[in-house]
Amino acid sequence: MTTGTGTRPAAVMRRLRLPVLAAIAAVAALSATGCSSSSNLTPDRLQASIGSTFANLYVLQQSYMGNPPVRAAALGSRASCQKGGTLDVTQEGSGQWLCEITYLPSGPQYPVIAKYNVDVQTDGCYAADGDGPASVNGSPTVTGPGYRQLNNPLALIDGCFDTT
Amino acid sequence: MTLAAERWPAYVEPGARDSRAVVRPDSIAGALVVWRIELTKLSGMIQIRAMVLLSIIGPFLVLGFLNLQSATPGDTPFGQWVHAIGLAIPMTILGFGAQWILPAITGVVAGDIYSSEDHYGTWKTILTRSRTRGELFAGKFLAAVTWAVGIVLLLTVTDLIAGLVAGREPVVGLGGQLVPAGHATWLVAASYLSQLAPMLGFTALAALLSVATRNSIAGIGGTVVIAVLFQIVTLANMPAWAQQVLLSTPFMAWHGFWGAPPYYGPFLWGLVTCAAWFAVCTLAAWLIFRRRTIGAA
Amino acid sequence: MTGVTAAVEVRGVTKWFGETTALDAVDLTVSPGDVHGLLGPNGAGKTTLLSAMFGLVLPDEGTLRLFGRTRAEAGAQWLDGVGGFVETPRFYPYLSGRRNLAVLAGLDGGDAATLIDDALKRAGLTGPVSRRKVRGYSLGMRQRLGLAAAMLRRPRLLILDEPANGMDPAGIRDLRTALRRLARDGVTVVISSHDMAQIEEICDSATILSEGKVLAAGRLDALRASAPDPVWRMRTSDDPGTLALAAPLSEVKAASHDDGGLVVHAAKEDMDAFVLALGKADIAVRGLDLDRTPLEALFFQLTGETKAEVNP
Repeated sequence: MTTGTGTRPAAVMRRLRLPVLAAIAAVAALSATGCSSSSNLTPDRLQASIGSTFANLYVLQQSYMGNPPVRAAALGSRASCQKGGTLDVTQEGSGQWLCEITYLPSGPQYPVIAKYNVDVQTDGCYAADGDGPASVNGSPTVTGPGYRQLNNPLALIDGCFDTT
Repeated sequence: MTLAAERWPAYVEPGARDSRAVVRPDSIAGALVVWRIELTKLSGMIQIRAMVLLSIIGPFLVLGFLNLQSATPGDTPFGQWVHAIGLAIPMTILGFGAQWILPAITGVVAGDIYSSEDHYGTWKTILTRSRTRGELFAGKFLAAVTWAVGIVLLLTVTDLIAGLVAGREPVVGLGGQLVPAGHATWLVAASYLSQLAPMLGFTALAALLSVATRNSIAGIGGTVVIAVLFQIVTLANMPAWAQQVLLSTPFMAWHGFWGAPPYYGPFLWGLVTCAAWFAVCTLAAWLIFRRRTIGAA
Repeated sequence: MTGVTAAVEVRGVTKWFGETTALDAVDLTVSPGDVHGLLGPNGAGKTTLLSAMFGLVLPDEGTLRLFGRTRAEAGAQWLDGVGGFVETPRFYPYLSGRRNLAVLAGLDGGDAATLIDDALKRAGLTGPVSRRKVRGYSLGMRQRLGLAAAMLRRPRLLILDEPANGMDPAGIRDLRTALRRLARDGVTVVISSHDMAQIEEICDSATILSEGKVLAAGRLDALRASAPDPVWRMRTSDDPGTLALAAPLSEVKAASHDDGGLVVHAAKEDMDAFVLALGKADIAVRGLDLDRTPLEALFFQLTGETKAEVNP
């Protein structure tokens, strides 16, 4: 009853060929790009981003408080970040980090260290919660001229860095 | 009765018909005919009208809601500024909801536009007219794309207006820098428009589900489920290139626009990702559809 | 016949669905202006073959030409002048009958939209009916809407799958007259049915299909010539006597029927002679009905169906 049984399986194989080839090509292309296996959520990138972001936000905070204007570049802010938890060896990837930002608001002789608990996400964005000194990032608000309460830009730092 | 009462309309050779009226057997013109008809059908649907209405009043509802209470959304960039900076509001909406809501919005149309014909059994009705399978496929696809692009444009406009109504203060960028209101307006618009690429990727994915499953619930629901799965998968630590492959990642590519200095790597790679997903899904959907048997086997 | 392009030409068409062979090297030719019947029991492959003519099903082997062109050759013009439907016509239930036709006319382009009013009138769907949503239509109304949709294509080839399905007797008569009139106007008609009696009333030629294979094909006259004798049901005043009288006759085969009475296989002329012979033998004929026409007998002989299966 069934004629041409030789061709029927061939027809089915023909239809499957294209998707299978496409899948193989995709996997090959991905492996061939030779991209690193790093998530690029590294201390270097985080430190560079949070350091400069802190400096800019410090300038903003000072202007909110009505203090004399500061230049971000003059602050010389440097960040040092470590992925939190004593058991955590790999210094890479999303999760809880601890950052210490050293900056010089009153000149090189008087460095100030601001501490942050930083929650780093896989997309390269982070939310840094201020952890001292209290006068810098302890309070959610700052008092401006005329006793206006304004958002303290240094209390919670939202930043992002490039992961590509 | 009446079937035999008079002559049926007589056959006329194609050349003899009014050449203005006849759509020439050119695939693009034919696809546009289908596109126009599909848009007409869509505009009559209640869910389309509801989503358009919601897109117009939604941002202002958010505005009103934020005015009534002082808590700030904590988990999104710009969230802490919503009470102080007007344009932080559209940016918070974008960061908070885009990757969930946009796939659903395009899924409702693209995930249904092919499978609804299976549901009503009308493929055999429309495939036995003067339009080829290719024209029907392309016309419906274009209609789904039109909806996706249109809704993103609409949301861009309404969210931007809501933000500007809330205030024209300079915006604190993601590098801590202060962005003047004028430039910030452009950045908000650019951030919203950057959603077009992943939106088109999800449109093609939803269309593929619609064609493959022949079921609107699987087409629409499947798109939403896959969007959620992407969000779950992206939380895992993986190489940077693997993150880039996910179709959800380009929804966040606008972060770079607000950097100090701005960076465009994620956006450009996002375009590649979206183009690849779009091409693969569209091609797969067409290959499934072009020789499929219509009707009971 | 040579030199005239066949309206439908099917050559060696085969279609598999997984393990099942739905069509097995089917050959079929329909001349222009013919009314051709596609006959077969349910599951014979009639719908699959008609679907293949519409391009809804793509054959695995063989060629299918409409007016001399294959689907690949004709491209977008494959179904130019071809109308009809496969199985029950389906429409968008949330649109009215008129709006459905407007959508289809829009897809067709040309002047199809101008034909909608006439088509609805001819199909008997005028007035408020045409504005009612199709989800409220009966089966017969859907069939009529399907015919109206076919009219919009200015058909020179009309393909109808069991068109009398769901219609009342008046509608069936109307349809039959319409199809004969269409044939007179030069339109080619292909209809399918599982009922030979319907085919005999309308068609000029037929193809008998069973389990995907063509069992017989040709003009109805030719098929009748090769058909076995028609079958009669008979009641007489003396059944045993009738059986005894028929026994020595080779052209009349009589037997008792389980439900009472007799079943007789004989050609019409032979039957006439037999009735007269019964009268001479003082046996009265109380009832005589044609149970199966020659073509029906041929159909059942070829497909091995019993009457009970096909006419429940």
